[in-house]
Amino acid sequence: MHPILSAEHVTKVFAAGRGDPVVAVDDLSVDINEGEFVCLLGASGCGKSTMLNMFAGFTQPTNGTVCLRGTPITSIEPRCGMVFQSYALFPWKTVRGNVEFGLKVRRVSKDVRRERAQQFIDMVKLTGFEDHYPTELSGGMQQRVTLARLLANDPEVLLMDEPFAALDAMTRQVMQEELLRIHDANRKTTVFITHSIDEALILSNRIVVMSARPGRVKAILPNDLPSPRHVDVQLSPEYADLKRQIWQLVESEVRHHDETNN
Amino acid sequence: MVTLGPVDDTASAAVVTEQGDLRRKIAVPWMRLISLASVVTVMTLWYVSTEYGWILPIFLPKPATVWQEAQGAFAGGLLLTDVWMSSKRVFLGFALAGIVAIPLGVAMAIWAPAKAILDPFVSLLRPLPSITWIPLTMLWLGIGESQKVAIVFMGSWIYILLYTYESTKRVDPLLIRAARNLGARDIDVMYEVIFPGALPGIITGLKVTLAISWSCVLSAEMVAAQNGLGAMIWQAKDWGNLALVLVGMLSISITVLVADQVANRIERLLLPWERDRHQ
Repeated sequence: MHPILSAEHVTKVFAAGRGDPVVAVDDLSVDINEGEFVCLLGASGCGKSTMLNMFAGFTQPTNGTVCLRGTPITSIEPRCGMVFQSYALFPWKTVRGNVEFGLKVRRVSKDVRRERAQQFIDMVKLTGFEDHYPTELSGGMQQRVTLARLLANDPEVLLMDEPFAALDAMTRQVMQEELLRIHDANRKTTVFITHSIDEALILSNRIVVMSARPGRVKAILPNDLPSPRHVDVQLSPEYADLKRQIWQLVESEVRHHDETNN
Repeated sequence: MVTLGPVDDTASAAVVTEQGDLRRKIAVPWMRLISLASVVTVMTLWYVSTEYGWILPIFLPKPATVWQEAQGAFAGGLLLTDVWMSSKRVFLGFALAGIVAIPLGVAMAIWAPAKAILDPFVSLLRPLPSITWIPLTMLWLGIGESQKVAIVFMGSWIYILLYTYESTKRVDPLLIRAARNLGARDIDVMYEVIFPGALPGIITGLKVTLAISWSCVLSAEMVAAQNGLGAMIWQAKDWGNLALVLVGMLSISITVLVADQVANRIERLLLPWERDRHQ
Protein backbone atom coordinates (compact mmCIF):
# COMPACT_ATOMS: atom_id res chain seq x y z
CA MET A 1 0.00 0.00 0.00
CA HIS A 2 1.28 3.47 -0.89
CA PRO A 3 1.48 5.96 1.93
CA ILE A 4 -0.87 8.95 1.57
CA LEU A 5 1.69 11.30 3.06
CA SER A 6 5.44 10.86 3.11
CA ALA A 7 8.60 12.70 4.04
CA GLU A 8 11.77 11.47 2.36
CA HIS A 9 15.11 12.56 3.82
CA VAL A 10 13.68 15.94 4.70
CA THR A 11 16.03 18.58 6.06
CA LYS A 12 14.97 22.10 6.94
CA VAL A 13 17.48 24.81 7.73
CA PHE A 14 16.46 28.27 8.88
CA ALA A 15 18.74 31.24 8.43
CA ALA A 16 18.94 32.88 11.86
CA GLY A 17 19.88 36.52 11.42
CA ARG A 18 23.62 36.90 11.97
CA GLY A 19 23.97 33.67 13.94
CA ASP A 20 24.58 30.21 12.56
CA PRO A 21 21.74 28.71 10.54
CA VAL A 22 19.43 26.53 12.64
CA VAL A 23 18.81 22.97 11.53
CA ALA A 24 15.19 22.42 12.57
CA VAL A 25 14.69 19.04 10.88
CA ASP A 26 17.53 16.74 9.89
CA ASP A 27 17.19 13.92 7.36
CA LEU A 28 13.75 12.91 8.53
CA SER A 29 11.82 10.17 6.77
CA VAL A 30 8.35 8.99 7.69
CA ASP A 31 5.42 7.40 5.86
CA ILE A 32 1.84 7.95 6.89
CA ASN A 33 -0.81 5.53 5.67
CA GLU A 34 -4.37 6.22 4.69
CA GLY A 35 -6.74 6.32 7.67
CA GLU A 36 -3.97 6.34 10.26
CA PHE A 37 -3.84 8.58 13.30
CA VAL A 38 -0.18 9.41 13.79
CA CYS A 39 1.16 11.49 16.64
CA LEU A 40 4.44 13.36 16.28
CA LEU A 41 5.72 13.45 19.84
CA GLY A 42 8.62 15.54 20.99
CA ALA A 43 9.86 18.24 23.32
CA SER A 44 9.42 21.85 22.32
CA GLY A 45 11.89 22.96 19.67
CA CYS A 46 12.22 19.51 18.13
CA GLY A 47 11.04 20.63 14.72
CA LYS A 48 7.64 18.92 14.83
CA SER A 49 5.74 22.11 13.91
CA THR A 50 8.21 22.72 11.08
CA MET A 51 7.47 19.23 9.80
CA LEU A 52 3.73 19.87 9.92
CA ASN A 53 4.14 23.21 8.12
CA MET A 54 5.95 21.38 5.33
CA PHE A 55 3.10 18.86 5.05
CA ALA A 56 0.69 21.81 4.69
CA GLY A 57 2.97 23.44 2.13
CA PHE A 58 3.48 26.59 4.22
CA THR A 59 7.24 26.09 3.95
CA GLN A 60 9.32 23.91 1.69
CA PRO A 61 12.11 21.56 2.78
CA THR A 62 15.70 22.68 2.22
CA ASN A 63 16.54 19.15 1.12
CA GLY A 64 14.44 16.07 0.45
CA THR A 65 10.77 15.91 -0.52
CA VAL A 66 7.39 15.90 1.13
CA CYS A 67 4.75 14.07 -0.90
CA LEU A 68 0.98 13.76 -0.90
CA ARG A 69 -0.04 10.57 -2.76
CA GLY A 70 3.39 10.47 -4.39
CA THR A 71 3.30 14.06 -5.69
CA PRO A 72 5.66 16.59 -4.09
CA ILE A 73 3.99 19.35 -2.09
CA THR A 74 5.44 22.61 -3.38
CA SER A 75 2.82 25.19 -2.39
CA ILE A 76 0.01 25.56 0.14
CA GLU A 77 -1.95 22.34 -0.12
CA PRO A 78 -5.66 22.60 0.77
CA ARG A 79 -5.96 18.80 0.67
CA CYS A 80 -3.84 18.82 3.85
CA GLY A 81 -6.05 20.84 6.19
CA MET A 82 -4.56 22.38 9.31
CA VAL A 83 -5.97 22.94 12.79
CA PHE A 84 -3.96 25.67 14.48
CA GLN A 85 -3.21 25.83 18.17
CA SER A 86 -4.50 29.41 18.31
CA TYR A 87 -7.69 28.51 16.38
CA ALA A 88 -7.19 31.11 13.59
CA LEU A 89 -10.93 31.67 13.27
CA PHE A 90 -12.16 34.67 11.30
CA PRO A 91 -13.44 37.02 14.02
CA TRP A 92 -15.80 38.81 11.59
CA LYS A 93 -17.58 35.63 10.62
CA THR A 94 -20.14 33.78 12.69
CA VAL A 95 -19.69 30.11 13.53
CA ARG A 96 -21.67 29.28 10.40
CA GLY A 97 -19.67 31.74 8.28
CA ASN A 98 -16.41 30.21 9.49
CA VAL A 99 -17.53 26.64 8.84
CA GLU A 100 -18.81 27.60 5.38
CA PHE A 101 -15.56 29.36 4.41
CA GLY A 102 -13.85 26.55 2.52
CA LEU A 103 -17.02 25.77 0.57
CA LYS A 104 -17.61 29.43 -0.20
CA VAL A 105 -14.18 29.97 -1.72
CA ARG A 106 -14.82 26.89 -3.82
CA ARG A 107 -18.00 28.53 -5.08
CA VAL A 108 -20.33 25.90 -3.66
CA SER A 109 -23.92 27.16 -3.85
CA LYS A 110 -25.42 28.77 -0.79
CA ASP A 111 -27.97 26.07 -0.02
CA VAL A 112 -25.49 23.20 -0.25
CA ARG A 113 -23.02 25.21 1.79
CA ARG A 114 -25.49 25.84 4.54
CA GLU A 115 -26.58 22.23 4.72
CA ARG A 116 -23.05 20.85 4.86
CA ALA A 117 -21.94 23.42 7.40
CA GLN A 118 -24.89 22.50 9.60
CA GLN A 119 -23.95 18.84 9.40
CA PHE A 120 -20.47 19.56 10.78
CA ILE A 121 -21.66 22.10 13.31
CA ASP A 122 -23.93 19.34 14.64
CA MET A 123 -21.04 16.89 14.55
CA VAL A 124 -18.88 19.02 16.84
CA LYS A 125 -21.95 19.65 19.04
CA LEU A 126 -22.28 23.37 18.45
CA THR A 127 -25.93 23.23 17.36
CA GLY A 128 -27.59 26.46 18.46
CA PHE A 129 -24.39 28.50 18.27
CA GLU A 130 -24.47 29.01 14.47
CA ASP A 131 -24.92 32.78 14.68
CA HIS A 132 -22.40 33.43 17.43
CA TYR A 133 -19.12 35.17 16.74
CA PRO A 134 -15.89 33.41 17.84
CA THR A 135 -15.18 35.93 20.61
CA GLU A 136 -18.47 34.93 22.22
CA LEU A 137 -17.29 31.31 22.60
CA SER A 138 -14.97 29.55 25.06
CA GLY A 139 -11.60 28.19 23.93
CA GLY A 140 -12.90 24.65 23.65
CA MET A 141 -15.87 25.78 21.58
CA GLN A 142 -13.62 27.83 19.32
CA GLN A 143 -11.47 24.79 18.67
CA ARG A 144 -14.62 22.82 17.82
CA VAL A 145 -15.45 25.49 15.23
CA THR A 146 -11.97 25.14 13.74
CA LEU A 147 -12.46 21.40 13.53
CA ALA A 148 -15.88 21.77 11.88
CA ARG A 149 -14.48 24.37 9.45
CA LEU A 150 -11.78 21.93 8.44
CA LEU A 151 -14.00 18.86 8.21
CA ALA A 152 -16.60 20.71 6.12
CA ASN A 153 -13.82 21.44 3.66
CA ASP A 154 -13.27 17.66 3.34
CA PRO A 155 -9.46 17.56 3.17
CA GLU A 156 -7.67 14.26 2.62
CA VAL A 157 -5.36 14.70 5.60
CA LEU A 158 -5.94 16.48 8.90
CA LEU A 159 -2.87 18.22 10.31
CA MET A 160 -3.18 19.25 13.95
CA ASP A 161 -0.61 21.48 15.58
CA GLU A 162 -1.06 20.98 19.33
CA PRO A 163 -4.71 21.91 18.93
CA PHE A 164 -5.66 21.38 22.58
CA ALA A 165 -2.55 22.85 24.20
CA ALA A 166 -4.28 26.13 25.08
CA LEU A 167 -7.26 24.42 26.73
CA ASP A 168 -7.68 23.58 30.40
CA ALA A 169 -7.09 19.95 31.39
CA MET A 170 -10.75 18.94 31.60
CA THR A 171 -11.80 20.57 28.34
CA ARG A 172 -8.79 18.96 26.71
CA GLN A 173 -9.95 15.52 27.82
CA VAL A 174 -13.43 16.15 26.42
CA MET A 175 -11.93 17.33 23.14
CA GLN A 176 -9.74 14.24 22.91
CA GLU A 177 -12.84 12.06 23.31
CA GLU A 178 -14.60 14.08 20.61
CA LEU A 179 -11.67 13.73 18.25
CA LEU A 180 -11.55 9.96 18.79
CA ARG A 181 -15.28 9.75 18.09
CA ILE A 182 -14.93 11.81 14.90
CA HIS A 183 -11.91 9.83 13.74
CA ASP A 184 -13.72 6.55 14.34
CA ALA A 185 -16.59 7.87 12.24
CA ASN A 186 -14.72 9.28 9.23
CA ARG A 187 -11.31 7.56 9.36
CA LYS A 188 -9.51 10.62 8.06
CA THR A 189 -5.74 10.36 7.98
CA THR A 190 -4.53 12.54 10.84
CA VAL A 191 -1.12 13.84 11.81
CA PHE A 192 -1.29 15.23 15.32
CA ILE A 193 1.50 17.10 17.05
CA THR A 194 1.84 16.97 20.79
CA HIS A 195 4.40 17.12 23.56
CA SER A 196 2.16 15.12 25.87
CA ILE A 197 2.88 11.38 26.04
CA ASP A 198 -0.63 10.80 27.42
CA GLU A 199 -2.27 12.65 24.56
CA ALA A 200 -0.24 10.68 22.03
CA LEU A 201 -1.17 7.38 23.70
CA ILE A 202 -4.87 8.20 23.94
CA LEU A 203 -5.27 9.36 20.36
CA SER A 204 -2.86 7.61 18.03
CA ASN A 205 -2.43 4.37 16.12
CA ARG A 206 1.25 5.11 15.79
CA ILE A 207 3.66 7.38 17.59
CA VAL A 208 6.67 9.02 15.98
CA VAL A 209 9.03 10.03 18.76
CA MET A 210 11.27 12.89 17.69
CA SER A 211 14.64 13.92 19.05
CA ALA A 212 15.37 17.56 19.69
CA ARG A 213 17.65 19.95 17.76
CA PRO A 214 18.03 18.87 15.08
CA GLY A 215 14.70 17.13 14.69
CA ARG A 216 15.17 13.48 13.81
CA VAL A 217 13.03 10.39 14.17
CA LYS A 218 14.10 8.72 17.38
CA ALA A 219 11.66 5.82 17.23
CA ILE A 220 8.38 4.83 15.62
CA LEU A 221 6.10 2.86 17.92
CA PRO A 222 2.82 1.19 17.03
CA ASN A 223 0.11 1.98 19.56
CA ASP A 224 -2.03 -1.14 19.85
CA LEU A 225 -4.23 0.00 22.68
CA PRO A 226 -7.79 -1.17 22.01
CA SER A 227 -9.97 0.76 19.58
CA PRO A 228 -12.59 2.30 19.72
CA ARG A 229 -10.82 3.99 22.57
CA HIS A 230 -11.82 6.21 25.44
CA VAL A 231 -9.91 8.46 27.70
CA ASP A 232 -10.16 5.84 30.49
CA VAL A 233 -7.71 3.69 28.48
CA GLN A 234 -5.17 5.43 30.72
CA LEU A 235 -6.09 3.07 33.55
CA SER A 236 -5.00 -0.10 31.71
CA PRO A 237 -1.64 -1.86 32.41
CA GLU A 238 -0.77 -1.87 28.68
CA TYR A 239 -1.03 1.89 28.75
CA ALA A 240 1.39 2.14 31.65
CA ASP A 241 3.88 -0.15 29.88
CA LEU A 242 3.81 1.91 26.70
CA LYS A 243 4.08 5.13 28.62
CA ARG A 244 7.16 3.89 30.48
CA GLN A 245 8.72 2.77 27.21
CA ILE A 246 8.17 6.17 25.59
CA TRP A 247 9.31 8.10 28.62
CA GLN A 248 12.63 6.20 28.56
CA LEU A 249 13.06 7.26 24.92
CA VAL A 250 12.13 10.84 25.59
CA GLU A 251 13.82 11.36 28.94
CA SER A 252 17.38 11.55 27.69
CA GLU A 253 16.26 13.98 24.98
CA VAL A 254 14.53 16.30 27.40
CA ARG A 255 17.47 16.28 29.82
CA HIS A 256 19.95 16.80 27.03
CA HIS A 257 17.89 19.62 25.54
CA ASP A 258 17.50 21.25 28.92
CA GLU A 259 21.25 21.11 29.60
CA THR A 260 22.25 22.56 26.25
CA ASN A 261 19.79 25.39 26.77
CA ASN A 262 21.29 26.32 30.14
CA MET B 1 0.03 38.24 54.21
CA VAL B 2 2.79 35.61 54.30
CA THR B 3 0.56 33.17 56.17
CA LEU B 4 -2.13 33.30 53.49
CA GLY B 5 -2.38 30.06 51.52
CA PRO B 6 -3.34 29.94 47.85
CA VAL B 7 -6.99 29.29 48.72
CA ASP B 8 -7.18 32.38 50.89
CA ASP B 9 -5.53 34.35 48.14
CA THR B 10 -8.21 33.55 45.59
CA ALA B 11 -10.90 34.22 48.17
CA SER B 12 -9.57 37.67 48.93
CA ALA B 13 -9.13 38.33 45.21
CA ALA B 14 -12.82 37.55 44.71
CA VAL B 15 -13.75 39.97 47.46
CA VAL B 16 -11.61 42.68 45.90
CA THR B 17 -13.28 42.32 42.49
CA GLU B 18 -16.70 42.29 44.11
CA GLN B 19 -15.88 45.50 45.90
CA GLY B 20 -14.51 46.87 42.64
CA ASP B 21 -17.78 46.11 40.86
CA LEU B 22 -19.74 47.70 43.64
CA ARG B 23 -17.53 50.75 43.55
CA ARG B 24 -18.07 51.06 39.82
CA LYS B 25 -21.84 50.74 40.21
CA ILE B 26 -21.92 53.57 42.71
CA ALA B 27 -19.30 55.56 40.81
CA VAL B 28 -21.24 55.98 37.56
CA PRO B 29 -24.19 58.10 38.86
CA TRP B 30 -21.84 59.99 41.14
CA MET B 31 -19.58 60.92 38.24
CA ARG B 32 -22.58 62.09 36.23
CA LEU B 33 -23.55 64.31 39.12
CA ILE B 34 -20.04 65.75 39.35
CA SER B 35 -20.08 66.50 35.59
CA LEU B 36 -23.40 68.28 35.98
CA ALA B 37 -22.10 70.27 38.95
CA SER B 38 -19.00 71.35 37.04
CA VAL B 39 -21.12 72.63 34.14
CA VAL B 40 -23.48 74.46 36.49
CA THR B 41 -20.51 76.06 38.27
CA VAL B 42 -18.96 77.37 35.06
CA MET B 43 -22.35 78.66 33.80
CA THR B 44 -22.92 80.41 37.13
CA LEU B 45 -19.49 81.99 37.01
CA TRP B 46 -20.24 83.18 33.48
CA TYR B 47 -23.61 84.57 34.55
CA VAL B 48 -22.33 86.31 37.69
CA SER B 49 -19.18 87.78 36.14
CA THR B 50 -21.05 89.30 33.18
CA GLU B 51 -24.14 90.35 35.14
CA TYR B 52 -22.10 92.29 37.71
CA GLY B 53 -19.83 93.82 35.11
CA TRP B 54 -16.62 92.03 36.21
CA ILE B 55 -16.15 91.17 32.56
CA LEU B 56 -17.24 93.71 29.95
CA PRO B 57 -19.78 92.58 27.31
CA ILE B 58 -17.32 93.42 24.51
CA PHE B 59 -15.08 90.64 25.81
CA LEU B 60 -17.73 88.17 26.90
CA PRO B 61 -21.47 88.66 26.28
CA LYS B 62 -24.09 87.68 28.85
CA PRO B 63 -25.62 84.19 28.64
CA ALA B 64 -29.03 85.78 28.03
CA THR B 65 -27.69 87.74 25.03
CA VAL B 66 -26.22 84.56 23.55
CA TRP B 67 -29.52 82.76 24.07
CA GLN B 68 -31.45 85.56 22.31
CA GLU B 69 -28.96 85.61 19.47
CA ALA B 70 -29.26 81.83 19.13
CA GLN B 71 -33.07 82.03 18.95
CA GLY B 72 -32.85 84.77 16.32
CA ALA B 73 -30.34 82.87 14.19
CA PHE B 74 -32.36 79.70 14.49
CA ALA B 75 -35.72 81.33 13.72
CA GLY B 76 -34.43 83.06 10.59
CA GLY B 77 -33.28 79.69 9.22
CA LEU B 78 -29.82 81.16 8.59
CA LEU B 79 -28.15 79.04 11.23
CA LEU B 80 -29.52 75.81 9.80
CA THR B 81 -28.45 76.87 6.30
CA ASP B 82 -24.92 77.42 7.59
CA VAL B 83 -24.91 74.04 9.35
CA TRP B 84 -26.19 72.39 6.18
CA MET B 85 -23.64 74.11 3.89
CA SER B 86 -20.69 73.22 6.10
CA SER B 87 -21.91 69.65 6.56
CA LYS B 88 -22.32 69.24 2.81
CA ARG B 89 -18.77 70.44 2.12
CA VAL B 90 -17.36 68.18 4.82
CA PHE B 91 -19.31 65.22 3.55
CA LEU B 92 -18.27 65.69 -0.09
CA GLY B 93 -14.59 66.28 0.66
CA PHE B 94 -14.47 63.49 3.22
CA ALA B 95 -16.24 60.97 0.99
CA LEU B 96 -13.98 61.84 -1.94
CA ALA B 97 -10.91 61.45 0.29
CA GLY B 98 -12.17 58.04 1.43
CA ILE B 99 -12.89 56.87 -2.11
CA VAL B 100 -9.37 57.82 -3.20
CA ALA B 101 -7.38 56.99 -0.07
CA ILE B 102 -8.82 53.65 1.04
CA PRO B 103 -7.93 51.78 -2.19
CA LEU B 104 -4.53 53.50 -2.27
CA GLY B 105 -3.85 52.56 1.35
CA VAL B 106 -4.74 48.93 0.72
CA ALA B 107 -2.60 48.93 -2.43
CA MET B 108 0.36 50.33 -0.47
CA ALA B 109 0.02 47.56 2.09
CA ILE B 110 -0.21 44.63 -0.29
CA TRP B 111 1.90 45.79 -3.25
CA ALA B 112 5.37 47.22 -2.50
CA PRO B 113 5.71 49.31 -5.72
CA ALA B 114 2.53 51.24 -4.79
CA LYS B 115 4.14 52.13 -1.48
CA ALA B 116 7.36 53.14 -3.23
CA ILE B 117 5.41 55.41 -5.58
CA LEU B 118 3.30 57.10 -2.92
CA ASP B 119 5.74 57.30 0.00
CA PRO B 120 7.63 60.43 -1.13
CA PHE B 121 4.41 62.37 -1.70
CA VAL B 122 2.91 61.26 1.59
CA SER B 123 6.06 62.36 3.42
CA LEU B 124 6.05 65.76 1.71
CA LEU B 125 2.35 66.50 1.97
CA ARG B 126 1.66 65.17 5.45
CA PRO B 127 3.24 68.07 7.39
CA LEU B 128 1.19 70.65 5.44
CA PRO B 129 -1.87 71.96 7.30
CA SER B 130 -4.87 72.12 4.96
CA ILE B 131 -5.02 75.93 5.14
CA THR B 132 -1.72 76.12 3.25
CA TRP B 133 -3.66 74.81 0.25
CA ILE B 134 -5.98 77.83 0.26
CA PRO B 135 -3.91 80.01 -2.15
CA LEU B 136 -3.41 77.26 -4.72
CA THR B 137 -6.97 75.94 -4.57
CA MET B 138 -8.36 79.47 -4.93
CA LEU B 139 -6.19 80.03 -7.97
CA TRP B 140 -7.26 76.74 -9.55
CA LEU B 141 -10.89 76.51 -8.43
CA GLY B 142 -11.98 80.04 -7.49
CA ILE B 143 -13.91 80.58 -4.28
CA GLY B 144 -16.89 78.36 -5.00
CA GLU B 145 -18.00 75.10 -3.49
CA SER B 146 -15.35 72.99 -5.20
CA GLN B 147 -12.60 74.97 -3.52
CA LYS B 148 -14.01 74.25 -0.03
CA VAL B 149 -14.41 70.58 -0.91
CA ALA B 150 -10.83 70.55 -2.18
CA ILE B 151 -9.54 71.95 1.12
CA VAL B 152 -11.40 69.25 3.05
CA PHE B 153 -10.06 66.64 0.65
CA MET B 154 -6.45 67.82 0.93
CA GLY B 155 -6.67 67.90 4.70
CA SER B 156 -8.22 64.45 5.02
CA TRP B 157 -6.95 61.98 2.45
CA ILE B 158 -3.49 61.40 3.88
CA TYR B 159 -4.84 60.43 7.31
CA ILE B 160 -7.29 57.99 5.77
CA LEU B 161 -4.48 56.60 3.62
CA LEU B 162 -2.15 56.07 6.57
CA TYR B 163 -4.81 54.48 8.80
CA THR B 164 -5.83 52.17 5.95
CA TYR B 165 -2.23 51.24 5.23
CA GLU B 166 -1.45 50.50 8.88
CA SER B 167 -4.55 48.43 9.55
CA THR B 168 -4.17 46.46 6.32
CA LYS B 169 -0.56 45.70 7.24
CA ARG B 170 -1.65 44.48 10.64
CA VAL B 171 -4.08 41.82 9.48
CA ASP B 172 -3.01 38.62 11.26
CA PRO B 173 -0.89 36.59 8.79
CA LEU B 174 -2.11 33.40 10.50
CA LEU B 175 -5.64 34.17 9.25
CA ILE B 176 -4.34 34.58 5.71
CA ARG B 177 -2.50 31.30 6.04
CA ALA B 178 -5.63 29.59 7.39
CA ALA B 179 -7.69 30.97 4.49
CA ARG B 180 -5.21 29.69 1.91
CA ASN B 181 -5.12 26.33 3.68
CA LEU B 182 -8.89 26.19 3.19
CA GLY B 183 -8.43 26.75 -0.54
CA ALA B 184 -8.84 30.54 -0.80
CA ARG B 185 -7.46 32.24 -3.91
CA ASP B 186 -5.88 35.72 -3.97
CA ILE B 187 -9.22 37.39 -4.60
CA ASP B 188 -10.86 35.49 -1.73
CA VAL B 189 -8.02 36.36 0.62
CA MET B 190 -8.50 40.00 -0.39
CA TYR B 191 -12.27 40.18 0.09
CA GLU B 192 -12.80 37.60 2.81
CA VAL B 193 -9.75 38.17 5.00
CA ILE B 194 -7.66 41.27 4.36
CA PHE B 195 -10.49 43.73 3.89
CA PRO B 196 -12.69 42.67 6.82
CA GLY B 197 -9.54 42.28 8.93
CA ALA B 198 -8.52 45.85 8.20
CA LEU B 199 -12.01 47.32 8.43
CA PRO B 200 -12.06 48.13 12.18
CA GLY B 201 -8.80 50.07 11.81
CA ILE B 202 -10.02 51.83 8.68
CA ILE B 203 -13.22 52.91 10.42
CA THR B 204 -11.27 54.20 13.42
CA GLY B 205 -9.18 56.20 10.95
CA LEU B 206 -12.29 57.58 9.27
CA LYS B 207 -13.71 58.70 12.60
CA VAL B 208 -10.50 60.49 13.57
CA THR B 209 -10.31 62.07 10.13
CA LEU B 210 -13.92 63.25 10.24
CA ALA B 211 -13.03 65.66 13.06
CA ILE B 212 -10.03 66.86 11.04
CA SER B 213 -12.27 67.40 8.00
CA TRP B 214 -14.47 69.66 10.10
CA SER B 215 -11.57 71.86 11.14
CA CYS B 216 -10.54 72.07 7.46
CA VAL B 217 -13.92 73.31 6.27
CA LEU B 218 -14.13 75.90 9.02
CA SER B 219 -10.77 77.43 8.20
CA ALA B 220 -11.62 77.42 4.48
CA GLU B 221 -14.91 79.17 5.19
CA MET B 222 -13.27 81.78 7.38
CA VAL B 223 -10.98 82.82 4.56
CA ALA B 224 -13.45 82.98 1.71
CA ALA B 225 -17.09 81.94 1.80
CA GLN B 226 -20.57 83.45 1.74
CA ASN B 227 -22.07 80.90 4.08
CA GLY B 228 -21.25 77.98 6.34
CA LEU B 229 -20.46 78.02 10.04
CA GLY B 230 -16.88 79.28 9.54
CA ALA B 231 -18.09 82.23 7.44
CA MET B 232 -20.85 82.96 9.95
CA ILE B 233 -18.37 83.24 12.82
CA TRP B 234 -16.04 85.40 10.78
CA GLN B 235 -18.81 87.78 9.67
CA ALA B 236 -20.18 88.04 13.21
CA LYS B 237 -16.69 89.02 14.37
CA ASP B 238 -16.58 91.74 11.68
CA TRP B 239 -19.92 93.10 12.92
CA GLY B 240 -18.66 92.99 16.49
CA ASN B 241 -21.44 90.55 17.41
CA LEU B 242 -19.61 88.39 19.92
CA ALA B 243 -22.81 86.64 21.03
CA LEU B 244 -23.32 85.37 17.49
CA VAL B 245 -19.69 84.18 17.39
CA LEU B 246 -20.44 82.09 20.48
CA VAL B 247 -23.64 80.77 18.90
CA GLY B 248 -21.57 79.73 15.87
CA MET B 249 -18.96 78.00 18.02
CA LEU B 250 -21.63 76.14 19.97
CA SER B 251 -23.31 75.09 16.71
CA ILE B 252 -20.00 73.67 15.47
CA SER B 253 -19.56 71.65 18.66
CA ILE B 254 -23.08 70.25 18.48
CA THR B 255 -22.88 69.47 14.76
CA VAL B 256 -19.55 67.63 15.13
CA LEU B 257 -20.87 65.74 18.17
CA VAL B 258 -23.95 64.66 16.21
CA ALA B 259 -21.74 63.63 13.25
CA ASP B 260 -19.64 61.57 15.67
CA GLN B 261 -22.73 59.83 17.05
CA VAL B 262 -23.88 58.99 13.53
CA ALA B 263 -20.39 57.66 12.77
CA ASN B 264 -20.53 55.46 15.91
CA ARG B 265 -23.90 54.05 14.85
CA ILE B 266 -22.57 53.24 11.38
CA GLU B 267 -19.48 51.65 12.94
CA ARG B 268 -21.60 49.37 15.10
CA LEU B 269 -23.66 48.40 12.10
CA LEU B 270 -20.62 47.59 9.99
CA LEU B 271 -18.69 45.72 12.68
CA PRO B 272 -21.23 43.44 14.38
CA TRP B 273 -18.45 41.15 15.61
CA GLU B 274 -16.98 43.96 17.69
CA ARG B 275 -20.27 44.69 19.45
CA ASP B 276 -18.85 43.64 22.82
CA ARG B 277 -15.96 46.02 22.53
CA HIS B 278 -18.25 48.99 22.07
CA GLN B 279 -20.42 48.33 25.09
